[in-house]
Amino acid sequence: MSHGIEVKGNVVECLRNATFRVTLDNGHVVLAHLSGKVRKNYIKIVLEDRVLVELSPYDLSRGRIIFRYRS
Amino acid sequence: MNEKVSRADAGTAQAVTVTRVNPAHWRATAENLLVGQADVSERPDGRSFISVDAWSDAAFDRLADRMLADLNGPLYTVVDDTDPALLAKWKQHGLQPRRREREYRVPTSDDAVRETLASPPAGVTLVTFGMADETRLRELDRDIRREVDATSGWSSMPAEVLPGPNGRAVIDPSRYAVAVRDGRYIGLVRVAGRPSQPRIGLLAVRADEQRSGVGRILLALALHAVHERGVDAVCTEVDETNTIAFRLLDRFGAQHTGTAWELERSR
Repeated sequence: MSHGIEVKGNVVECLRNATFRVTLDNGHVVLAHLSGKVRKNYIKIVLEDRVLVELSPYDLSRGRIIFRYRS
Repeated sequence: MNEKVSRADAGTAQAVTVTRVNPAHWRATAENLLVGQADVSERPDGRSFISVDAWSDAAFDRLADRMLADLNGPLYTVVDDTDPALLAKWKQHGLQPRRREREYRVPTSDDAVRETLASPPAGVTLVTFGMADETRLRELDRDIRREVDATSGWSSMPAEVLPGPNGRAVIDPSRYAVAVRDGRYIGLVRVAGRPSQPRIGLLAVRADEQRSGVGRILLALALHAVHERGVDAVCTEVDETNTIAFRLLDRFGAQHTGTAWELERSR
């Protein structure tokens, strides 16, 4: 089984509907929403946060934030 | 542990296979791709919270169906108020809204902080962060928790302030400031979270000392302490029925930043 692609990046914009624009380390920009685990644990994501994004296997411009690194 | 189901998804029929990889984690695959994951975790009060992350509606449905069938007893989840699609999905799977929690951002340099600190309630002194006696702090925490248990209960409180299953909370005095009257600890405030993104984890006053400005002076002290560290705001969460807390936050210029639903499957 092929696992999801996980890429680190920085939050560059907080959008509506709990969605964020994230610039990945490879330079690509994706729209990412919060993963259920992040939401469930009351982890807040703000501008400039360093995050780990899992990319959609169907659309590499979409992802979800699965981890926020400590600053 | 495997089951295979074909289901139309957004006009495209695809087979989604769900596998429970351990007691707390499920995976969904389609055409050899990982298309979704689900998990369950237990909060300190013993309640089980579930989540599903999927790249298609079909994967979400299969994961939710399988997880809800596998797990017994009450289950809970959290959904952002601005995500009606996810709220609708969970409702379709039998979870019902139980309560809502409002999230706030509170500035640390508001005029109200200085004014409040300049005029504390008569007879009340403050013990700032890291200076409280741990034994007395633990006694105060225990007494306040008993009072909450006997009244509204902790289930309407944010996750981080829930007591442990053995009734014993983790107390780190560096995160607490305390109000004192006649040598008796009467109220506390706890600042949690990362140094750069602090949050008010708990603000509580003994029942017989409430409505006398103790909570207000404790919040002002916490905001001032955070401001002294160079941070311009803290975040906090309040149950939407807690009007007293709303009024208190409003006095300090708090901004409403979001709302989250807590959903429950009650069987």
